[in-house]
Amino acid sequence: MTRLVLLVLVAATFWIVPAASAGEVVVDIDRTLVSPSLGQSFSFTTTVANHSARSTGPLVAHLNILSLNPGVYVDPEDWSSDRTRYLDPIPPGGSRAVRWRVKAVNGGSLAAYVTVVPRSGKGIPATGPALRFDVASRRTLNSGGILPIALGVPAGIALLVLGVRAQRRRRSRSFSLPV
Amino acid sequence: MVVAGQELRDLWLGGRALLLTLAFSLLLSVVSYLVATNQALNYLEQRESVSLTLKVAVAVGALLSLLAAADTISGERERGTLESLLVTPVSRQRLVAGKLAAVLSLWIGAFAITTPYVWYLGRGIGVVGESLAAGFVVGTLVAVFLASLGVLVSTFSGSNRISLSVSLLLLLALFAPTQFPTGAQQGWAANLLLRVNPITAGEHYIGKIVVDDHSWSHDTWWLVSPALGAAVFGVAAIAAARSISLRGGSTS
Repeated sequence: MTRLVLLVLVAATFWIVPAASAGEVVVDIDRTLVSPSLGQSFSFTTTVANHSARSTGPLVAHLNILSLNPGVYVDPEDWSSDRTRYLDPIPPGGSRAVRWRVKAVNGGSLAAYVTVVPRSGKGIPATGPALRFDVASRRTLNSGGILPIALGVPAGIALLVLGVRAQRRRRSRSFSLPV
Repeated sequence: MVVAGQELRDLWLGGRALLLTLAFSLLLSVVSYLVATNQALNYLEQRESVSLTLKVAVAVGALLSLLAAADTISGERERGTLESLLVTPVSRQRLVAGKLAAVLSLWIGAFAITTPYVWYLGRGIGVVGESLAAGFVVGTLVAVFLASLGVLVSTFSGSNRISLSVSLLLLLALFAPTQFPTGAQQGWAANLLLRVNPITAGEHYIGKIVVDDHSWSHDTWWLVSPALGAAVFGVAAIAAARSISLRGGSTS
């Protein structure tokens, strides 16, 4: 009988007590500053820890990237092709490391941060510390730079066309010369 | 090899290929200049500029191959040189294979012209090598597919005008899905159409490699239709060589 009551109590505990909310989930990052050059890839690791006494439900970790200054367009899709990760439940006191790979495609001062949301969509998202990165701006696209190529390549081919035509004319003239 | 050599000389030293590549380089100059100077595009993403230029290069480079291919048999027929060509001691299959190889040299030339533009637009963000490699692979498959299609049409066309018209019509039909708005590209039917069409599939693959920085193996399925199209139409063009007749149309 006692065993039965105990079993019912344990079952009731599991039924009533919800999984740890995202508010009890803490996101940490292995570094907060990085200085990549334009085009360079870099990685960082975030740790999603469950500080509660209950297991979390399934979680979703999402990486976001933004510019710290106005006037710089940032499309996070371009920076990282794998920005959303689906995590299995984390046991009480447990943690899960998630590695993110980012490629610096724009110059400027930017920041990346990871937010963890329960897969149920309910609860408060947990956000980790921001990783700041300063990418040295280098404008490689400008009219002055492209002009030598834009004019030079067609000009080179046009010269080739003229050369071939001149040679053909010379050849046809030598064939038509009276012997 | 002999046929290919002769065709290459006709095409390049005859001046036709050089004029086509000159027009190609002018187009690429305009596109790359606009991409590099247009603030809106420049502002958006440098990878997009590389991808856009590369896609134009692949599409127009392959178009050059198709234009030249559409003239291969019907052109000879119209100029009255097909009969003398058919009595040479070379099998018809080898004749077509040689012509096909020569026509594909236009794509190789177009790719060589594209290289400095892609280098300029992509330098500094580390995408030049990958972009050029992806462009070459996709462009070659699409060029083989379109050139073979052009040769097939040319084989069965009574005149050069018909051959060119049909080839261009087919090309427009194949390119049409690239102009679909993003909303129309959703759903399984649209997705299937994009994957089945060698041109849209190839261009999509280039975008995935250049813009999304995906690995080569990540989207290999998008390469299936360009590869299949090149293989099937290549074999069909050479097999159809048996049907070459002096008046055009099938001999059977």
